Amino acid sequence: MSSREILADLRALGASSLKEWRIARRYPHEYVSLVFWPLVMPGVFLLQATGFGAGEPRALGAFAARAGTGEVAGFLYLGGIMYLWISILLWGPGTALRREQERGSLEALFLTPASRLVLLFGPAPASLIPTVWVFVVVMLTLRFGFGIPIRPEELLRAGAVVLLAIPALFGTSALFSAAVVRFREIRAGVLMARGLCQLVCGIAFPVAVLPGWAQALAYALPPTHILADLRAVLLTGARLSDLGPSLAVLAAMAVLACVAGAAAFGRTVAAARRTGSLGQF
Amino acid sequence: MAVLKRNLRLLARHPFNMAGLVLMPLYQTLLPSLLLGASFLVGGRALGLGRLAGTVDLAGFLFTGAFVGSLIGGTFLGTWVSLSSDINTGTLVTSWLSPARRSAIALGDALAGLIISGTAGLILLGVGELAFGARLAGTAVLALPALLICLVALAGLAQLVAAFVLRVREAGAAVDVASYLAVAASCVLFPLAALPGALQPAALALPTTYALDLLRVAALGTSPHLPIGWEYVGLVATTVAMVTLGWLAFAGTERWLRRSGSIGLH
Repeated sequence: MSSREILADLRALGASSLKEWRIARRYPHEYVSLVFWPLVMPGVFLLQATGFGAGEPRALGAFAARAGTGEVAGFLYLGGIMYLWISILLWGPGTALRREQERGSLEALFLTPASRLVLLFGPAPASLIPTVWVFVVVMLTLRFGFGIPIRPEELLRAGAVVLLAIPALFGTSALFSAAVVRFREIRAGVLMARGLCQLVCGIAFPVAVLPGWAQALAYALPPTHILADLRAVLLTGARLSDLGPSLAVLAAMAVLACVAGAAAFGRTVAAARRTGSLGQF
Repeated sequence: MAVLKRNLRLLARHPFNMAGLVLMPLYQTLLPSLLLGASFLVGGRALGLGRLAGTVDLAGFLFTGAFVGSLIGGTFLGTWVSLSSDINTGTLVTSWLSPARRSAIALGDALAGLIISGTAGLILLGVGELAFGARLAGTAVLALPALLICLVALAGLAQLVAAFVLRVREAGAAVDVASYLAVAASCVLFPLAALPGALQPAALALPTTYALDLLRVAALGTSPHLPIGWEYVGLVATTVAMVTLGWLAFAGTERWLRRSGSIGLH
């Protein structure tokens, strides 16, 4: 691939992301829901935790031992960020290709000289805008609503974890996108994928309470590591050097997920070319 | 009755939707809640829950909540799905031109939603008993009068939701939020004492809060929020208020639609 082609693909990637952002900004009310859900959904789990803990020192101690932190609000609200990030990715870039297929514009995109990887990964960067919004809402809530001290260096470490998390989650969403185009089912796919993450990634409870086989499944998924690392740097003051093995696993997962997503999409496209089903829905 | 039969027939054509009504609350809410509760267990016992709610049966507490939560969710979403489907397919005008009263049509939708979600709720209770160790006493049937009164309240709520959907039309997000808040405020997932003091009166303004509390008292032996007699007074008073509000809202919306001629718009 020549440098000219690479530059052309980068321009196409930028155009694809810009398109997604332009569509998203036509619906500003979505940002109202992105204030409501990050606050209320973990808030309900927090009320549950208040009910289950009820100020009973042994119960609170049991939670802290299993979760690695006694900061229940921080634990649940950071879990809420992960849940919403996954939702944004699945409903956005994860289903973008399928929505193009439903609109009948996927074939036109395939006729452009842009690389297939641009089609697969192009919609993903625009999803960072609502994700950052959710992060800001939750960080402000934790700092000023719950009085959890979050120091600037802890925020920077969290930013480093997020930067490493981005390719891992983009790769996962690309894999999901390829599956959605193959099986032509958006809603059921999103609900299943999101449900799986909700059940095993430690979003609303410590992974330690899961049975062994479920813990193994949990640690095979990038969101589990991302969430554990975010909680470690923001709630327990862990340094990045303390998280070395976990971050290395995350980096490896990023590479694997991106390669797997590209490979799956390639197979889907090849099958669609053989059967002529690219435009079917 | 015809509306009720139609909605039930439509559901029968999509059996996976019924499975979804059971599976979604299970993996979206119940399982995470059970696992969150498990993280507070001391020697396998829910000491904190026992202190606040008067029972250490975590599964029983959550699955009884899920039963009433299903009824609430079914009321909101069933009404919205049915009405928005009629609006989008253009059949609302035809229905309203029939000699049937419009409030009867809305009531038919509400009853269908309640039967469907009630069945899903009962299945969830069964799952809770068989698979998750919930121990619901046979005395749970003593809560039947409370649940029947609650159904009347939910029919009133359905009229309120129908009025809102007819006015707003693109009401999906708002109905979703309202349903979530109503389920949360009814103490489906946590004891009333876990709510901040300022929010407890809001919970006590809902008939579903009283009905669920009476169900838990009967099934699990929990401590009631108020003396039982006052719980029934609260339940009946809030039910009357809900039915009245629903009837007024629907009648007002019907008048507004007729004057503005906007029944066919979507």
